[in-house]
Amino acid sequence: MLRSRRRALVSIVTPVAIGIMALTGCTSAGQSGDAAGGTKQETLTLGMTADIQGWDPTIQPGYQGWSADAVWDSLLRCDKNGKPQPSLADKWEFSADQKTATLHIREGAKFTDGTPVDAAAVKANLDYVASAGGAAARWANTTIKSTDDQTVSVSWPEANPLLALRLCEPKIASPESLKSKKFNEPVGSGPYTLDESATTRGSVYTFTKNEEFWDSENFPYKKLVLKVLEDETASINALKTKQLDGTIVSSATLEEAKGAGQNIQTLTGTSTTRLLLTDHEGKKIPALGNLDVRKAMNMVFDREAMSSKLYQGHAKPATQIFREGSDAYIADMADPYPYNVDEAKKLMKKAGFEDGFTLQIPTMKGQNHETLMPYITQQLAQINIKVEQVALSGPNAISEILSGKFPVPLWQLGNYGESVQDITDYVNADGIWNVSHQKDEKVSALWNKVKTSDEAGRKAAQQELNQYVTDQAWFVPMVSMDRFYASNPNITVEESSDYSGLHPLLRDFK
Amino acid sequence: MLSVLKNLIRSVAILLLVTFATFCLMFGNGTGIARSILGYQAAEVDVQQKVIELGLDRPLLTQFGDWIAHAVTGNLGESFFTGQTVTSALATRVPVTLTLIVLTLILTVIFSVLLGVAAAVYGGWLDKVLQFISVLGAAIPPFIIAIALIFTFAISVRLLPATGYVSPDQSVTGWIMSITLPIAALLIGSVASAASQFRGAVLDALSKDYVRTLRARGLKESRVIFRHVLRNAGGPGLTVLSLQTLGLLGGAIFVEQVMALPGMGQMANQSAQQGDVPMVMGTVVVTIIIVLCVNLLSDFANTILNPKARTR
Repeated sequence: MLRSRRRALVSIVTPVAIGIMALTGCTSAGQSGDAAGGTKQETLTLGMTADIQGWDPTIQPGYQGWSADAVWDSLLRCDKNGKPQPSLADKWEFSADQKTATLHIREGAKFTDGTPVDAAAVKANLDYVASAGGAAARWANTTIKSTDDQTVSVSWPEANPLLALRLCEPKIASPESLKSKKFNEPVGSGPYTLDESATTRGSVYTFTKNEEFWDSENFPYKKLVLKVLEDETASINALKTKQLDGTIVSSATLEEAKGAGQNIQTLTGTSTTRLLLTDHEGKKIPALGNLDVRKAMNMVFDREAMSSKLYQGHAKPATQIFREGSDAYIADMADPYPYNVDEAKKLMKKAGFEDGFTLQIPTMKGQNHETLMPYITQQLAQINIKVEQVALSGPNAISEILSGKFPVPLWQLGNYGESVQDITDYVNADGIWNVSHQKDEKVSALWNKVKTSDEAGRKAAQQELNQYVTDQAWFVPMVSMDRFYASNPNITVEESSDYSGLHPLLRDFK
Repeated sequence: MLSVLKNLIRSVAILLLVTFATFCLMFGNGTGIARSILGYQAAEVDVQQKVIELGLDRPLLTQFGDWIAHAVTGNLGESFFTGQTVTSALATRVPVTLTLIVLTLILTVIFSVLLGVAAAVYGGWLDKVLQFISVLGAAIPPFIIAIALIFTFAISVRLLPATGYVSPDQSVTGWIMSITLPIAALLIGSVASAASQFRGAVLDALSKDYVRTLRARGLKESRVIFRHVLRNAGGPGLTVLSLQTLGLLGGAIFVEQVMALPGMGQMANQSAQQGDVPMVMGTVVVTIIIVLCVNLLSDFANTILNPKARTR
């Protein structure tokens, strides 16, 4: 009886085991473009932590914008310092008053539907950008003219010191694809074209190389595959099992990626964690109208401890909101608000707010608030500021934060290689992140200087602005954090050319 | 027949009610939807223009009426972001999730019946092991099991893929490989729970007088168990299985996330985060339909197994 049971067991298990081994042999268990026999792989497979937002060229994000970079080209390409490089425009000129850009579109460039990339096509695109919402506000009231078949001029009503950045942003699509405004499929002149047959929206996007692209030698892979892996566990597992060639990793999974033999590219100091004290007139929170209170809030945070404990050493103390090396950054600025809780208490007493006040701070997923808020709450409590966390989620969360409902957001905000962009977004009264939108005469005067000065004057004005907002304690900068990109050793990833400093761009993968 | 009709009408009423409630929640804030499409840099005037363009400024009842009128013809609208029709998106996603759920259910039935019967009939160490495993299976969520399986079979030993889905028309062996770990992750908890229920139902049925009578008449034990006892134990078991299906739908969402499977769960998660309201509505509707179909099938199967249920 026992022997027959054993025979029965063996007769079942053996073919099952053989079957599993055969299946394993038949498939590669999801290897992505593994090189065989030492030859370079032809497919580049990258992970994305969020899905593509559709194929409207005006709503493409800079963060993980590899799909947009694949199918479309831009007029200019900004390098990591925000300086313009040739792209669809091979020659350009900015007027001395910083109002007008004149661009020559390179000869012979074509969209993948065969139509030429010429001045008319560029004008159609820029007209659409100016009207379509999204970043349209940045193009409001511009005049766009095509002066000949290959030349376009764009004029802003006022001096715009961000001319180069503005021209690096819009993606140029085939005008035919803009007409219907349906955007089911992208038609551009970029280094790749979308292969719909090998694409499952929301999951896998496959692109094939466009050999007609003017700069195709800088994009060596014949095929590009972008996989949407929102879960960090899934993406790190896919990286380890070579289903991906590269993906963004956080400090939480960094050591795991290193331990698995992945190459890590670190983008240092490209984001700064900060409290934005936007109500400096004290309209909503009277205490914030007092400079001593804002200074006191700066002095209760031990930035060294935050860098080593909260960011596991992958950050460094920040005393300015601007990126090191950018024009606005003041290299020899001593720490204006060294960590000193006793001094902070004295300042609060001097300001008449010894008993403190209540402060609502909105929190959201993906901003490391779970790690930061306990420390921030604890430290502000030392000067009797009671923090009430307001958890926001869903599609309205960002708009609520930017509405000014909460005058003091806490955010890990990017600092651009081009610091004029930082001033536009964080300091100017109409800046997106200056959520209380309070005007300041000194800022307006200095911004005017930035707009109208030559290069040296612009830099000096930016540094003066930096010093002013620091002296006025408009922000509580805490740390400049590192960002990480992990990749398999079988591919080469050059130093990121992204001026936002978020991750390598498509052209950086060799 | 009458009871089937009553169940159908009740199901349609539930579908309408839940759909309406979801619609109100999803479409209630037109400005927020427009801003999530245009990005936070968009000017207020552009946001309001988008609201009007999408028809979100109309009364909710009007919007719902329009939506229902299109939905009954199979048009569930288009993604706010990609322009892809909801129907075509679901057409690629639903088969993936249904593959996981249906195959897991079939395997659950097979394994839980065999294990439940064995535990009830033979008892002893098998029974004790089953009870222990059922507690463990209920305690450990499917995504934790999925992570453990990935670590063992995909990372430590490169036997199966860690992520991704291969459709059967691309490669049958690739398809089998890609669904093995997700199904195993869902199956373990599902079998643990269902086997325990079947065990209880079988034990209960075995204690009945008719079983003693059948044995006294000289019927083979296997015939007693599989033809008579199981039939009577099947009713409670079916109820458990229909509840399992609901649990599997929820478990599938997490497993699809962890293993990056392009199923309905992943689509629902992405759409909800983006604020792609038509896609969310589409997944909600399909999910409700699946749940109602499972309930209807379960009731129908119960009437076949249990003659008393037919007379109600």
